[in-house]
Amino acid sequence: MTTLTPTPGAAEPGLTGAPPRTAGRRPRPRPRKQGGTILAVPALVWYLVFMVGPMVAIFVIAALRWPGMLQPVSFAGLGNLRAVLDDPVFWAAVRNTAVQLAVALPLMIVCAYMVGYYVAQRPPGHRVIRYLLFVPGLISTPAKAMVFYAALSPDGLLNGALESAGLSSLTDAWLASPSTALACLIALDVWAGIGFTAVLFAARLGSVPDELGEAAQLDGAGHWRTMWRVHFPVIRDYVGVVTMLQFLWTLFGSAQHVLLLTQGGPGSSSTTLSFLVYQKAFIAADLGYSQTVGVILFLAGLAGLLTIRRLFRQNY
Amino acid sequence: MKFGKRWIPAHLLVWSYAVLLLVPLYYFLASAFKSNEEIFAHPFALPDSFGLGNFSTAFSSADLGLAVVNSALVTSVALVLTLALALPAAFALARSTGRLASAVEKVFSLGFLIPTFAALFPTFLLAAATGLFHTRTFMVLFLPATAMPLSVVILIQFMRTVPREMEEAARMDGASTYAVLRHVYAPMCLPGIATVLLLNFLTFWNEYLYSLVIIGPDPAQRTVQVALPTLKAITGTDYGVLTAGTVLTLVPVWIVYTVLQRRMQQALVSGAVKM
Repeated sequence: MTTLTPTPGAAEPGLTGAPPRTAGRRPRPRPRKQGGTILAVPALVWYLVFMVGPMVAIFVIAALRWPGMLQPVSFAGLGNLRAVLDDPVFWAAVRNTAVQLAVALPLMIVCAYMVGYYVAQRPPGHRVIRYLLFVPGLISTPAKAMVFYAALSPDGLLNGALESAGLSSLTDAWLASPSTALACLIALDVWAGIGFTAVLFAARLGSVPDELGEAAQLDGAGHWRTMWRVHFPVIRDYVGVVTMLQFLWTLFGSAQHVLLLTQGGPGSSSTTLSFLVYQKAFIAADLGYSQTVGVILFLAGLAGLLTIRRLFRQNY
Repeated sequence: MKFGKRWIPAHLLVWSYAVLLLVPLYYFLASAFKSNEEIFAHPFALPDSFGLGNFSTAFSSADLGLAVVNSALVTSVALVLTLALALPAAFALARSTGRLASAVEKVFSLGFLIPTFAALFPTFLLAAATGLFHTRTFMVLFLPATAMPLSVVILIQFMRTVPREMEEAARMDGASTYAVLRHVYAPMCLPGIATVLLLNFLTFWNEYLYSLVIIGPDPAQRTVQVALPTLKAITGTDYGVLTAGTVLTLVPVWIVYTVLQRRMQQALVSGAVKM
């Protein structure tokens, strides 16, 4: 079910596969033991070349002074790290990413869990809700960005609504104002994140035996308590896995939203760490710097995963 | 009554979120048939006419037609390649009991921890080094690699459910390893194959950042997700054209989702949790 716990399937082939082989009544033309493993080689090679190779390269490039694609490359050691740590833009990006995660992640997970619980109880209309919850999971990042652009641009939906409600003093250039640009990005994360995460929770809650909830209700527990005290502990490790996923998507994926909606601005008010990696590589052409931030981002991802795993460890 | 008065706040909250999901879709669909003036004056009114003017403007000004063809090409060839790589691999790993095989399986399941996005720049270098920079070809080769962990792990789980005796019987009839895969395992794993295809169809069709950087802005090569944001720059703030273009990119996904709704939902759920 998860990637962090060893897959239960790994132990199975020994159980399912062994008996027929030892019971072999007739001689085999060739030993079938390793007969097919070679078929896994192309997929493995493909994966190592296109995924693992570039991943390792990040660490190498992070130690190079490389001021542009066609410039000479020299060894920089920890020079890039020093440059990064001395750069106020980096610290602004750290702050923005921390705010983004601290606001978006809990909001998304808590709301999604409650929506998921709601859907799993099969109230009237739950099929329609389920259909709609999938929508953010289906549309591409540029399309989502278009939705938010249409809603938040100076003559977009939100300002239009505010004006027609007589609140024109509240209108703003939401995406271009330093105080709201980051909030817009967080809103996009939450808007898109709740739906799909809720579906995941609903699917898992659907397999929790009904008797569990009914027993709790008989004991006089309301839905609120059943939801948090009965069901939540049962799927606690699952919630952990989903949280890890959303953490990774938010941490690494924000570059696309930033690129499409705010370009990191105004100033560095909406620059996130993953956008900084992109911006330094493809706009500022400071490749060593970019990949150093990449390494930091990678380590942050790892630390976050371990923390979340610890937080959601099954404790009964 | 199971859903009594105390559920009213819950109903309200969930349905208002559902409306938040629905409104942008309706707005996009309606605006695609309107002019800018109509959009600003009555953003939520039904369009007066269903003229396709905005669609044709979007098509011609951002070469969307060509981009759709490119996207379809990249997505379908990458899907075929993904299956060609993942099916034999899952077949081998599901049947094998060796220590090597379980190590390889572990490599794939750890792959979920590598966020695809992290290695954008080194991948860009790889594209440049192989001479495939600014081509769709590189994306066709690259996308299956990103899909490999998920596809292999899902297929392995399905293949483990195939009873050993089926293969024994086929072998007795003189079937080769390839024939066993082709005529025994593949037909029995069709639900798994469908799951893998649907999931990867979504990710491949929707892929943006890598396509942007690696395929680049050349209209002859770029995919629809790269072409779409350029509409904003080309047409300024002509929302009608902008929304028409967005709707166009959603149509293929929408058709597949509506036709295969149940299977698609299962695929998305099982796929995400494996990650």
